[in-house]
Amino acid sequence: MKFKADEIASVIQKEIEDFRGQIQTAEVGRVIEVGDGIARCTGLSTAMAGEMLEFPNGIRGLAFNLEENSVGVVILGDYLKITEGDEVKSTGALLSVPVGDAMLGRVVDPLGNPMDGKGPIMTTETRPVEHEAVGVAGRQPVKVPLQTGIKAVDAMTPIGRGQRELIIGDRKTGKTAVALDTILNQKGTGVKCVYVACGQRSASIAGVVEVLREHGALDYTIVVASSSADPAPLQYIAPYSGAAMAEHFMYNGQDTLVVYDDLSKQAIAYRQLSLLMRRPPGREAFPGDVFYCHSRLLERAVKLSDELGGGSMTALPIIETLEGEVSAYIPTNVISITDGQIYLEPDLFWKGIRPAINVGISVSRVGGNAQTKGMKKIAGSLRLDLAAFRELEAFAQLGTELDKATQQQLDRGYRMVELLKQPQYQPLHVADQVIVIYAGARGYFDKVPVNEVQETEKELLSFIESEHSEMRDQLIEQAELTADVEAGLKTALEAFRARMASK
Amino acid sequence: MSEHIKTRPDHVLEDPGAKAVASLYARSYLSAARENGFDGADEELTSFVDDVLANHPEFRELLVSDFVSRDAKLGVVERSLAPHCSEFFANFLKVLVRHGRIGLIEQIRSVVTLVREELAGQQRVQVRSAKPLSDHSRGQVWEQLKNKLGFDPILQESVDESLIGGLIIQVGDTVYDSSLRTRLKSLAGRLTERTLNEIQSGRDRFSHPEGD
Repeated sequence: MKFKADEIASVIQKEIEDFRGQIQTAEVGRVIEVGDGIARCTGLSTAMAGEMLEFPNGIRGLAFNLEENSVGVVILGDYLKITEGDEVKSTGALLSVPVGDAMLGRVVDPLGNPMDGKGPIMTTETRPVEHEAVGVAGRQPVKVPLQTGIKAVDAMTPIGRGQRELIIGDRKTGKTAVALDTILNQKGTGVKCVYVACGQRSASIAGVVEVLREHGALDYTIVVASSSADPAPLQYIAPYSGAAMAEHFMYNGQDTLVVYDDLSKQAIAYRQLSLLMRRPPGREAFPGDVFYCHSRLLERAVKLSDELGGGSMTALPIIETLEGEVSAYIPTNVISITDGQIYLEPDLFWKGIRPAINVGISVSRVGGNAQTKGMKKIAGSLRLDLAAFRELEAFAQLGTELDKATQQQLDRGYRMVELLKQPQYQPLHVADQVIVIYAGARGYFDKVPVNEVQETEKELLSFIESEHSEMRDQLIEQAELTADVEAGLKTALEAFRARMASK
Repeated sequence: MSEHIKTRPDHVLEDPGAKAVASLYARSYLSAARENGFDGADEELTSFVDDVLANHPEFRELLVSDFVSRDAKLGVVERSLAPHCSEFFANFLKVLVRHGRIGLIEQIRSVVTLVREELAGQQRVQVRSAKPLSDHSRGQVWEQLKNKLGFDPILQESVDESLIGGLIIQVGDTVYDSSLRTRLKSLAGRLTERTLNEIQSGRDRFSHPEGD
């Protein structure tokens, strides 16, 4: 292929010939104080709240505090290059980020600048970072499931398209892993994903990008990265930027998934900004509007009405707790905003139950509406069975003699817990989940030793795929456990049991 | 008397809050003078700042210092200043002392000058150019500005060679930028934007067609 140097030259020449420099008019002010990512400026008498401002060197800022005699500006860039007395220009535009298909597969900073070394992003469309959420009339109930590919989640805390499901837990309990598995499972479903890293270590972000790339998930994913080394203003706007990028697809009638990893760090960045801006501190020194900061972000997750194209934005915010303290300020706020939470516990994690989901206190307020009929049918009693099992388990530890029925219930419980374990980055299709949970709940694993359950599960799935794939196809197609499908499933499971017994 | 305690270093620009207060006092001073038919208000204030305070920094220190009580300051104003100035101006000084705003007197003076100019239909305009303006071009700029803005501009010129050519004119908070530097910058921005396609295709020669 020939390098088109001539073409470039002619484009440039034409551009220069046509260039008519116009007088630029702008409202200006002067920096009177700068430091720690914020600046205070005089002048700028017509600045709007949230307006984008420009410092020398092209550094951008955001009008944050409009005061009687000065304007408080958060600096979105290197504040060390700005000095007192510098001129600040208003741009008359709100802060916006580039959006569109060209963003997919890219790693960008919260302003939409590429940071993956793959060159400029070819898009002309932009969207304001802050955008009002759709009103009541523009929404419809959440009914379509968004499959996470995780058995424990899809069976017991189902997530629907347009829902906001919080992932909450201590550090190192696999919060990001749940979100990542969900993104990986969207392959081939047409759901566009945005992963917003907020205040994380750069190494973790690089790790996430690598996982997405390895599993071919980067093709339909945008990664918005703000590491803990970035200034607080960038960490603060990162989730809003991510939401804006997803909204673009949503308003074009597509389904989207946004992961905010994590909002506790964003709240801390916001606290830093607010305190530097001398806004009065409240509980835990967070400003009074930290609730609004999260609620306006999560309100943007929506299932649009058909008139608006029927697109959706599913949000998976992540909150990190300290020592399981869910009654701290930020966790309670976000719990109250979202439509349910997946609670991850370190104890379960270290016991080897991974994903370490505490099914007892994890909920999804959308409930069965966001499940396929097949899954709804078999998962209906699962939660209660597991609760009953845990009660019995505690009782059984006392060493009392148990009657046969109780012992059987216990045995099945142990096997169900085993079945709900799932390795990382191996999301399961919903039909496979139905088959496995059905088999477990109907006792097809009762004769399998507990430590072999996971192995047997794998064998079962490969057995079904190789010898009873028509039944599986039927299950996928109908998404329902009709009498016909159930009969086929039973036959397959009997055949499998017979084969296992003969081994 | 000990030294005045500095709370703001010299290099820091003026405090916008203090400026707002000074502006309030200045406007009140002028309108009170007008109501009382007192003509020499501006002149007297200027003379006080330039002739008295500037030549006697110790005296200024005495008035501004926090170590001297208000009553003592009022006494000083009464004894040493009142006999030499109009009653109106003495009263103004006493108000400033009583409110603890005497330190703003220089700022009040500069606002008074601006307000007076405003009343006379004038406004200051900063003009930055790459080379010093010739008399001819200065006249042209003045003429043009007067026609466009509807008041008599007072040109405050400065030279900034980095502009390369053209002018930057600032009226209040609004800047009209027609400098060559800014035009070249915007041309550069447009060129990269327009030629992105070419750059991209040039770059794609080196990558795999099926992506990485």
